[in-house]
Amino acid sequence: MQVSGWIIAALIVCLPITAIAAQGNPAEGKAKAEAAGCNACHGPDGVANQDGLAIDKNMPNLAGEPDLYLQFQLVYFRKGVRKNDYMNPVAESLSDVDIRNLGAYFASLPAPGGSPPPDSAPEDTSLGAKVAQALHCANCHGDHFEGVENMGRLAGQREDYLYKALRDFKGGARVATGAASMAEVVYPLGDLEMKALAHYMSRLH
Amino acid sequence: MHKVKRSSGLLQALVIAIGAPGLLMLGLSMPTTANAEDALIKYNGNTRDYWEHPPGDWFMGDETAQQHGTHPYPNQPTPTPNDELVGLVKDNIKLAPGFHIEVLASGIDCARQMVFGSDGTLYVGCWTEHVYALQKHGDKWDAKVIIKGLRQPTGIGFYNGNLYVTDIDKIYRYKDIANNLDNPKAETVYSDFPPYTSHGWKYMVADTQNPGWFYIPVGPPCNVCMIPSGTAQYRHVNPDEGISEVAALGQRNSVGGDVDPRSGQLWFSENARDWMGDNIPSDKLNHLAKWGEHFGYPYCHQGDIPDPKYAMGHKCSEFTPPALNVGPHMAPLGMKFYSGNNFPGEYRNNIFLAEHGGWNQFNHTGARIMRIQADVDGKHVTQEPFAWGWIKDNKYWGRPADVAVSPMDGSLLVSDDQAGAIYRIWYDGKS
Repeated sequence: MQVSGWIIAALIVCLPITAIAAQGNPAEGKAKAEAAGCNACHGPDGVANQDGLAIDKNMPNLAGEPDLYLQFQLVYFRKGVRKNDYMNPVAESLSDVDIRNLGAYFASLPAPGGSPPPDSAPEDTSLGAKVAQALHCANCHGDHFEGVENMGRLAGQREDYLYKALRDFKGGARVATGAASMAEVVYPLGDLEMKALAHYMSRLH
Repeated sequence: MHKVKRSSGLLQALVIAIGAPGLLMLGLSMPTTANAEDALIKYNGNTRDYWEHPPGDWFMGDETAQQHGTHPYPNQPTPTPNDELVGLVKDNIKLAPGFHIEVLASGIDCARQMVFGSDGTLYVGCWTEHVYALQKHGDKWDAKVIIKGLRQPTGIGFYNGNLYVTDIDKIYRYKDIANNLDNPKAETVYSDFPPYTSHGWKYMVADTQNPGWFYIPVGPPCNVCMIPSGTAQYRHVNPDEGISEVAALGQRNSVGGDVDPRSGQLWFSENARDWMGDNIPSDKLNHLAKWGEHFGYPYCHQGDIPDPKYAMGHKCSEFTPPALNVGPHMAPLGMKFYSGNNFPGEYRNNIFLAEHGGWNQFNHTGARIMRIQADVDGKHVTQEPFAWGWIKDNKYWGRPADVAVSPMDGSLLVSDDQAGAIYRIWYDGKS
């Protein structure tokens, strides 16, 4: 960490008014993201959906995800609780401060915006909306699926990644933490519904 | 079984939806009218489908329109560097006079129940996947993950050299744990708990009167419902024998208890139902004086509030009242009778209770260690804050989950599953 970072960290610890868990530094996070090579998969601005950018499919956008959500995922990648061949080695070397700064950085970037392209599968959009309502996705992920604290942003996320995440929860490859269990959320869904849900969410902005 | 009044057609449809796969579900579950009430969740937990596959947001049933937005508070480990944690504790935690607190260990993600082994090793259960072992080398405690790959190993126990870990539906035994820290071998010794995550995390109360036996709570898979058989109870379990008996009935969600060394009787904390408001009902501290007592859930809350839906004609006077109403949404979890020699004599056999703090309030409360004094028969119960300050500007920077008395020096250890820390509280009488 650079000297300025240490001074900021020291001030944060010393000042009573900010003596709750410290906020990360987006500028430090940007530097760390570049050094760690996050951009290669997640895009230069945390948006992975430009053609040809992702080295593999299923790489999520990080821009505009809630700070805490990003931090928790990195904690779980670091600990190996969330398993991913790309992310586990990257996260292993991250310090607590790195994780805070990365969370702050990607949360500060604007989520993908603008109008979605013409709908290639309007029947999926319609079905996805019904699934989202039936399963109360908004209850935890926010009224507009914008993500809330430790709950991820779903609106505007890459469709392939959302579909993968649902399948991973359903198959047990990804285990939800805390009181809520995504495995129980996705239990009643078939492949058709998961695809539709991913399609619907990906088109929201 | 009592006939329970069912909810509206839409709500029934939603319940059906939870268990029915595919398009059928989605067709059935769509509201026909869109108004504020329909947007709220009203689960009917009285069905087999619900019990076998509780919905992912099972804890959200029954909220009112006014409560919308009190979404689940992050109950997960925040990365808190050790130096910063030391500063947070120094600046924020207040204690009774003459007591002091320090960070014993950090980086213990999601630390829950603590138990000492006979050689002084501290074992720590966790919300997610891991069990830790901490050992003191010189002045420093070193921590390592000794068990991986479990679901929610929150509740742990130690007996006869073995470590016991309760993970939702199973109890695993790790024999001669002190000599097998690098490669503990799991044996499944009990597997008769329900399989769902909902209120499935456990706590193991060592029955000091009957070594080898543990009191273990079993929660219902709902906020409030007509409970499936075998749940909403405390069992008395002997893991080595793989047997259990029912000790207490009518408890909702207990994640803490201890046996009173004076009487040998169980006391336990209990989290009351949600969504009746920020100020009711109170969470509870219960005292099991007679085997098989019923503590009221789901019929009656805090000893004097019949459930609006599930009282079904029952009166609160039918049930054992709480020994103490600790306050609404305080989330009392781990507790211990103080048995050490470090604290002044008047603290002996007092209860120390970890309050986790509410998760669905607009204004957060709790996140303290309470000192509770009670007569041996459960009368004259009073409480006062003992250590507080984990909540600041309506946000938690840490949340106490359990307490343990150190057999080495009589200090009181506190686990924190948000900051991922173990704290140590000791007394020297100095300010």
